[in-house]
Amino acid sequence: MHRVKVIFGHLAPYPSEVGNRSVRSNPCGARAPAPAPDDVLIVHGRRTAIGKAKRGSFKDTTPDELLSAVMKAVVTDVGLSPDKLGDVCVGNVLQPGAGALVARIAHFLSDFPEAVPVYTVNRQCSSGLQALFNIAGAIKNGSINLGLACGVESMSLRDMGDPGNVSSRLVDYDKARACIVPMGITSENVAERFGISREKQDAFAVSSHQKADRAQRSGTFAREIVPVTTRVTDAEGTEHTVTVVKDEGVRASTTLAGLGKLRAAFKPDGSTTAGNSSQVSDGAAAVLLGRRSTVEALGLPVLGVLRASAVVGVPPDMMGIGPAYAIPAALEQAGLNVADIDIFEINEAFASQAVYCVEKLGIPMDRVNPNGGAIALGHPLGCTGARMVVTLLHELRRRGKRGYGVVSMCIGTGMGAAAVIEYPGP
Amino acid sequence: MKVKVFRSPGRHGYAVEGSPFIPTKLACATSQYYGIAGSGTLLILEETESGIALVKSCEWSDGLFDVAWSETNENVLAAGGGDGSLQLWDSSSNHSAPLRVVREHTQEVYSVHWSQTRGENLLVSGSWDQTAKVWDPTLSKSLTTLKGHEGVIYSTVWSPHIPGCFASASGDGTLRVWDVKSAACRLAIPAHKSEILSCDWCKYDEHIVVTGAVDCSVCVWDLRNPRQPVCPPLVGHSYAIRRVKFSPFSRTVLASCSYDFTVRFWDYSRSQPLLETVEHHSEFVCGIDFSLHIPNQVLDCSWDETVKIYTPACLTAGTHTAGP
Repeated sequence: MHRVKVIFGHLAPYPSEVGNRSVRSNPCGARAPAPAPDDVLIVHGRRTAIGKAKRGSFKDTTPDELLSAVMKAVVTDVGLSPDKLGDVCVGNVLQPGAGALVARIAHFLSDFPEAVPVYTVNRQCSSGLQALFNIAGAIKNGSINLGLACGVESMSLRDMGDPGNVSSRLVDYDKARACIVPMGITSENVAERFGISREKQDAFAVSSHQKADRAQRSGTFAREIVPVTTRVTDAEGTEHTVTVVKDEGVRASTTLAGLGKLRAAFKPDGSTTAGNSSQVSDGAAAVLLGRRSTVEALGLPVLGVLRASAVVGVPPDMMGIGPAYAIPAALEQAGLNVADIDIFEINEAFASQAVYCVEKLGIPMDRVNPNGGAIALGHPLGCTGARMVVTLLHELRRRGKRGYGVVSMCIGTGMGAAAVIEYPGP
Repeated sequence: MKVKVFRSPGRHGYAVEGSPFIPTKLACATSQYYGIAGSGTLLILEETESGIALVKSCEWSDGLFDVAWSETNENVLAAGGGDGSLQLWDSSSNHSAPLRVVREHTQEVYSVHWSQTRGENLLVSGSWDQTAKVWDPTLSKSLTTLKGHEGVIYSTVWSPHIPGCFASASGDGTLRVWDVKSAACRLAIPAHKSEILSCDWCKYDEHIVVTGAVDCSVCVWDLRNPRQPVCPPLVGHSYAIRRVKFSPFSRTVLASCSYDFTVRFWDYSRSQPLLETVEHHSEFVCGIDFSLHIPNQVLDCSWDETVKIYTPACLTAGTHTAGP
């Protein structure tokens, strides 16, 4: 379309002028809670770039390699000896047994000592955030002082879809039966029942790509992404060594007109398309957590304070509405309301559910996923929760003032998870 | 910095202008779907103690890209749209239809401006059809059509000093100055090596014009010496500059808003011209205006569906509060 062409013409890069950006905004309005010695602090977080599954640079890379890259980077960056870690928890969805073996192998690939334990957790799309909740819980109950929360997924090497062994009696229970409704249909259900139009979904998707493209081009992700050098086999069967530093799903050329042409992916008269759904991806992320007293004793930096964590159940056939229930629960725990939050990272499993949750909670759209979400960046299932925490904290730090962020996502089989994190300021 | 915010869900801001008559009134031209498709809404807004209230919302069948208040009637505004039309709206009436609609431009109208010199009451419009048209205030029929630009016109602004004179900025990389009486282009300055999206006149010096362009730079020109800008280009924006505006209160202060989501304030007489960067939008910032009544108050609007009113810290510091 002519207008799209003209406006894209305005966005042609003029490299000489990049940089020199300074950020000013309103001071954070919400009161800062007094620091307590048993606060759970986030020391640091990094992630890999997110690769396109089955076609991207990580398509031949095993998840232990991705995981090891971020595990190693996080402890090295802050100069922490890994033997100080009380535990390592890894979120994963698709590997057998949520990747228990993969995690321990990654642990040794990272030269972590055998005395440090590691385990995995699978709460579907929130696994990476659940790993953080688990480590935070262990710190809070006194069993460990420092821990590493990670998430990893290779959707190139493992497929979704095997439900495991389930009882045939599930058909007799509506809610149980609803658990096996395909994710795309749950998106259609949300769109239909709450009237989220195709146009709204497509516009949200376009904006996700634009925001991610802008972040990518301005170098916003540079501090969070760990470059990964790996081998990838091309269509001719030749193996190449590549260093991956850039998220591969972002398409600056995405337009409303282009998305409008896509056919519904899950039902003939539906509104959920490949363009307004999250992408299938590979990636890993890791976040270092510690008790305030320990973090201060070791002289480690403080990137964030975990202020609240909540997981709530919702109807399985409308699992996408999860954040609309989890976010208020987490905010209540933290004693905050929507207006106190500077940035909401809400996972874009589908534009339908993301738009619904944003509208339902009355969140100003300009506070949602300021650097794009899973529609543009991709959604490596087990990694996503940890990836969002990393992106959130780096963005809050980039803004350079005390502030609050929320990370939330919907969860297959009907749940939502949410965390409230404070950036204490530079 | 206190910021008042008006949210317009589903409507993305393209242009904002404060009323020349009523200090609290402002108008914002907005479009659905980022102005790529769909309809448009002209929002008449009023600043209140606590925020910004909607006075009237005028719906149009295509996106609206610019708005101009009448300089003679406090209730009348003109807007330009994606369908090539100009509409005249009455903000005081209950009617939902415009007072008048003219369709002469064959492509998107991206700019409208009402003349400000005494004894003259004209409108100028700039269009992607590469022409500018001058209109009488009732929009009955265009008085003259000015051709010459070899690219789309993004901006047309009357000189506040010279009757019948306006400047235009175009995708052809030139800034042009036109004389309406002789219907001729008086000056064409190849001001940038990229598309120029906006221009504005200094309110205190009839020779000074500012341009903002896709090359991310803002340039200040003295029309008597168009070979080079009067100072080195003002750089800092990381994406195209969508609109530039001179302060009505300070001779050398100007504002620019950009596709890089920021608004920047500059004093081009200084060796460090960048005064402040305001980053309070999360999308392209397309509209900016200075209040004519309240010194240093700024209005802006963005694709992030917000209109904001604020006074930037750099202009309250005392150095720029008084007139020249």
